[in-house]
Amino acid sequence: MKYIFINIWRVMQRELHMMFARPLYLFASVGVMLLSTFFFLTLMRGGAAENMPVAVVDLDQTSISRRLIHEMQATPSVDIQLVTNSYPEAREAMQQGKIYGIFVIREGFYSDLVAFKRPQLDFYVTNAYTVGGNTAYKQLLTMANLTSGAFQREVLRKKGLTDDVIMHRIQPLAIEGHMVANPWGNYSIYLVSTILPGILGLICLMLTIFAIGFELKARTSHAWLRAAGGNYTVAMIGKLIPYTLIYLILGIGCHLILYRFAGFPVYGSKGRLMFGLLLFILAMEALGITMIGLLPTLRDALSIGALYSMLGFSLSGFTYPQMAMLPPVKALSYLEPLRHYYLIYVNEALMAAPAINSLPNALALTLFMLAALCVAPRLHRALVYWNYPLK
Amino acid sequence: MSEYKYPIVKSFVTELQRIFRDPGVVVIFIVATLAYPLIYKALYWNEQINDVPVAVVDLSNSPQSREFLHRWNASPDIKLTHSCTSMAEAEHLLRDQKVHGIIYFPRDFAKQLADPLGQAHISLYCDMSSFLYMKAIYLSCNQVMLESMRNIQIDRYEQMGMDKEFAWSLVQDAPYHETALFTPTGGYGSFLIPAVLVLILHQTLLFGICMLGGTAREENEESYTFTSLIGRAGACFLTYYGLAAILLGFFPRLFGIPHIGAIGDILLLIVPYLLAIIFFSLCVSVFIRNRESGLVLLISTSLIFLFMAGISWPKEMIPQAWRWVAACIPYTWGAHAFIHVNSMGATLSQVTREFIALWVLTGAYGVMACVLFYIRKEREALRQKKEC
Repeated sequence: MKYIFINIWRVMQRELHMMFARPLYLFASVGVMLLSTFFFLTLMRGGAAENMPVAVVDLDQTSISRRLIHEMQATPSVDIQLVTNSYPEAREAMQQGKIYGIFVIREGFYSDLVAFKRPQLDFYVTNAYTVGGNTAYKQLLTMANLTSGAFQREVLRKKGLTDDVIMHRIQPLAIEGHMVANPWGNYSIYLVSTILPGILGLICLMLTIFAIGFELKARTSHAWLRAAGGNYTVAMIGKLIPYTLIYLILGIGCHLILYRFAGFPVYGSKGRLMFGLLLFILAMEALGITMIGLLPTLRDALSIGALYSMLGFSLSGFTYPQMAMLPPVKALSYLEPLRHYYLIYVNEALMAAPAINSLPNALALTLFMLAALCVAPRLHRALVYWNYPLK
Repeated sequence: MSEYKYPIVKSFVTELQRIFRDPGVVVIFIVATLAYPLIYKALYWNEQINDVPVAVVDLSNSPQSREFLHRWNASPDIKLTHSCTSMAEAEHLLRDQKVHGIIYFPRDFAKQLADPLGQAHISLYCDMSSFLYMKAIYLSCNQVMLESMRNIQIDRYEQMGMDKEFAWSLVQDAPYHETALFTPTGGYGSFLIPAVLVLILHQTLLFGICMLGGTAREENEESYTFTSLIGRAGACFLTYYGLAAILLGFFPRLFGIPHIGAIGDILLLIVPYLLAIIFFSLCVSVFIRNRESGLVLLISTSLIFLFMAGISWPKEMIPQAWRWVAACIPYTWGAHAFIHVNSMGATLSQVTREFIALWVLTGAYGVMACVLFYIRKEREALRQKKEC
């Protein structure tokens, strides 16, 4: 028994030595994670998209259309970048990526308005950029309502009604939108909460494959097993302890930065959320072992690992919901640990659901760890016999 | 190798052989490049999300609210799946993710509507775990609102003693007509896949070139001469030009995602884009020691480049400092140029800015690669001298 601990310690010492001898290990884990955290936390100024540049095409060129444009320019949520009397010019500006929407005041707007002939307003938004286009759409809708409301108000005022009475006639029905758990509609909170843990998982998976696979590639696996007294389990435990510690510290750090330092809201249990993150990290590490076990050529395992973990971002369903996916793709999404972490996150941070709701996902993450045990015989053979190609 | 008259031709042929004799590089350059777009198309197959399940809490229980719900249910975006008697019950459903939104009619809904001075309220609760749920619920709500609102307004004006004709023209004073340009379905795939296609080219080239550099270094075959630099760039360009043409020219047509740009413009645009990536990657590859380490170190740049370019998160909302960094990445310019040409029908003259920027990056990274290769050559020479 004593020898086992001594051997584990020997393997760990060997591993730490290797880790510090090459900048790659620490850079690919700590360095990449620090950089990604800094990047994603500083990327989205304010977190909510607003003031997308739009253009107004004034084909009417009358005093009322100019007054209307003035009124729109004074509205804080609208950013009019271009006022022109040519639609092609506005369309070209959109094709060059300068604006996201076009608001058109047709020719004869004023004369139609005076004659009660219902002049029509047109607006165009780009769909080639989703968030930009949607935000511009909201702005243009505000502008159209502004125009429409302003006109009704004028007519009713002339009829001698007070503003208070007018308000309720123009707006007999009001919709109150509530964005559950993210009342600011903050895109940063929504995106970063899944993407940063996802990147950490990606690091764990790739680096675990690299750490084990490199022993095969450099033909050092015999020295590694020797340090472990020929025992596969001891060799694995000794090797993985330093990495696991780094991953877990990064996980705790990531959780603290998001939910303490950056102040992202958690409506449920922070403890359970962090526990979910740590389970996810271990699941990704285990998945790395499974991959190098199934494909003991470093390059193959890394290519598959890269594909698998990059797809996790799409399959987790945090941008494009799982309910919209094709049935086989939907089934595939359960094989992604990130999907399970995302569901735990939704339960804990957003929905404040009871622990029982997250239990199936926590169990699924545990299953990934068990899968790593199944490849042990195959990986052990590869370490001993080097029966796979080098590159 | 005396059959080649010029050393540059020899270097070019050697590099081509190294690409096609290395199964790892072939997998990244060719298999991954062609397989990734298919996978992403399968992922985002349904452009729209339809029938988002929504719970209804109708405390007013009036013909008016039922009329509303009836119209609402006709919208393709949402589906009223549960009818609840209390808000607590609906919140439970939301919490268990059985529904992704709640529509709530307060008790006085009908009364407020009937009162000519009243304002009726409807509350919407949206699940924010995906922004697309919110979009679907708000969109359907807007459509229903616009229609119903007009009818109520006309009723009220008539009650005030206006004649019907006048009331009608009053509420219709400035009707508006909205058009979504370029991608009529407004689907998620139509928006994301063009950006992903451009990213796939960028990242597979980056990883592949790092693998080539790392392998050569492992096998002590790396030569850091100007000739080998040009030879490698030429070999990669030749291998990739056809792939890029398939990905950017043919796949959008095959997939039925928007492709209103001129194919000739796209083929021209590919030239500086590929060259800029190749020289950028050659600069990076100088720092890569093993054939696999590039992939481990650089895999997360795929996400960073995608977001930094300002495609999904608008570029206007990105801090200036990050926009400068983004300007140094070929992907940023390539993605915008391709989206403008392919999805928005811009001509090459309309993307001159991006086109020139890509040539500038090609030049800058080309010079930088020469310098880095030179420094590396000197160091190698020094090392060999020491060893002797």
